[in-house]
Amino acid sequence: MEPFGYIAAADEKMAIDEAPRGTFIAGGTNMVDYMRLGVIKPTTLIDVSRLPLTNIEAAGDGVKIGALVRNSDLAYHPLIQQKYPVLAEALLSGASPQIRNMATTGGNILQRTRCPYFRDMHYAQCNKRQPGSGCAAIGGFNRSHAVLGGSPACIATNPSDMNVAMAALDATVHVHGPSGERDIAFVDFHTLPGDHPEVETVLQPGELITYVTLPAVTGKQHYLKVRDRASFAFALASAAVVLDVQGGTIHGARVALGGVGTKPWRAKEAEAALVGQAPSPAVFAKAADAALAGAKGQPTNAFKIELAKRTLVRALTEVSK
Amino acid sequence: MRRPRVLAFIDPWSPDPAELPAIQAHLRGLGAELGVVTKRGTWLVTPDDPPARLAEAPEADRSFEVADGATLVEALAAAGDAMRTPAPMTFTRREWALTSIAAGFSLALFGCKGKPHEDKPAPAPPPVVKAPMPPEYDIVLSVNGSDRKLKVEARVSLLDALRERLGLTGTKKGCDHGQCGACTVHFGERRIKSCMQLAVMSQGMKITTIEGLAQGDTLHPMQAAFVAHDGFQCGYCTPGQIMSAVAMLAEGHAKTDDEVREMMSGNLCRCGAYPNIIAAIQAARKGAA
Repeated sequence: MEPFGYIAAADEKMAIDEAPRGTFIAGGTNMVDYMRLGVIKPTTLIDVSRLPLTNIEAAGDGVKIGALVRNSDLAYHPLIQQKYPVLAEALLSGASPQIRNMATTGGNILQRTRCPYFRDMHYAQCNKRQPGSGCAAIGGFNRSHAVLGGSPACIATNPSDMNVAMAALDATVHVHGPSGERDIAFVDFHTLPGDHPEVETVLQPGELITYVTLPAVTGKQHYLKVRDRASFAFALASAAVVLDVQGGTIHGARVALGGVGTKPWRAKEAEAALVGQAPSPAVFAKAADAALAGAKGQPTNAFKIELAKRTLVRALTEVSK
Repeated sequence: MRRPRVLAFIDPWSPDPAELPAIQAHLRGLGAELGVVTKRGTWLVTPDDPPARLAEAPEADRSFEVADGATLVEALAAAGDAMRTPAPMTFTRREWALTSIAAGFSLALFGCKGKPHEDKPAPAPPPVVKAPMPPEYDIVLSVNGSDRKLKVEARVSLLDALRERLGLTGTKKGCDHGQCGACTVHFGERRIKSCMQLAVMSQGMKITTIEGLAQGDTLHPMQAAFVAHDGFQCGYCTPGQIMSAVAMLAEGHAKTDDEVREMMSGNLCRCGAYPNIIAAIQAARKGAA
């Protein structure tokens, strides 16, 4: 690992003031990995892990989650278990218990892709790492890559399970930066790769994620993750669903997909195909077709289009039982 | 692919056990191995193995000769500095009986203490280029009940601090990327992967390693269960498995075998001792219940 300096931030203001000199670090599970691989080379780390952003509390009808809440604490918290089981399921399907004990909510939102060409410095081509260098995944080994939201510059997936649930739950990300505080809708937080895959979020320089809020939601929830191993593997496809069925009719639907999109993928088209219908295999299949209508497969990942559809149908079937 | 090899010309020299650790430390720093060529024979020294006698001088990437009166360790230190500078520097070699050196070996000699040839002007000495030393930080780690003071660079992981600085080598380095779990320790009450945790970020929390688990000569029940159920083969993953299992029982989210498998998924065993590991954990869980 390349040498770097270290500053422990005593409070939010100090973290933001120091931001121009370096890079924030909290849980470190993603940062240290990528620093050791040489993919990211911060000159100075600004340690925000001791800031008092570790509370989970009710806020109105919803919940407020501090950016430094560890994934394990979030998953097992009674408020989350009771009101947002889809989030608990998503968190517990990710990584391993040790990693979940370290990883933070804010850090998970900013988790970098697992694209092997991004991770492996031996490949010169990666537009995310080296803008303008090309994309080795397009035309290369792309089994784990995105079928939704890709561009000729990048097809890397957002790997987070938590983010898929956050997208379905209409979370809001609260940030604090040099020009004050602002709120960002979760679905707008991550950006599509387009011509600039090196830009992954709308965060501005020096902005620190401070907390996340979730609104109240109605309906049955489920997160279904399909992967190569039974545990400790990233999603090939996943679905976070919330289905509100009243009197035999779907009143509300929230659908987000993971493992298949270049960002946490909210599928509004699928929701439109569900609302007002009676739950049935045919309706679920139609919703799945709508969600994947714009999908574009590569030679070794086209199977994910059908896999994502079946994953979504199974998740919807589960919550309509 | 072999590691870079440096050739040193020195005479007289013979392997000396007292000198060997210092030589190997330099070689580890350089990530290189060393061929030592004397008038009476050639040896190969690697960072890990004792010197081996060679029939002839091996091929090398760089070479230098050791001036009269200098030791091999001194020359190696100076050569290390020179090797870290970007451009190779060529020195005129001094007279040397080269007849014993195998053909094919490049004599574009590269060194640090060569004497210039008599009738040529001495080349300008190479600029000594040293990278600025990375900053170090004074930290205190609370490990197994005692406070340990350390001075570390920010890039030192908790794992490396435990193993290389505090001599607590029970915690193992497997993948160094948070995947295998061999480095699992307790950070407060939590099990974490110490390879993903920077030492500078580990202050003020009670850290427990496998060395801190037993009470004197009495094994922790989980350790005893691993012994009783033969929960290992090579044993390399075992400290991590045990630390992880102890914390898992405290967390209280796993009862059935399937739940134990899921909650132990962050600890890999390449020997495949999983059935016995599960048996050991379940025995400890029932004993603790």
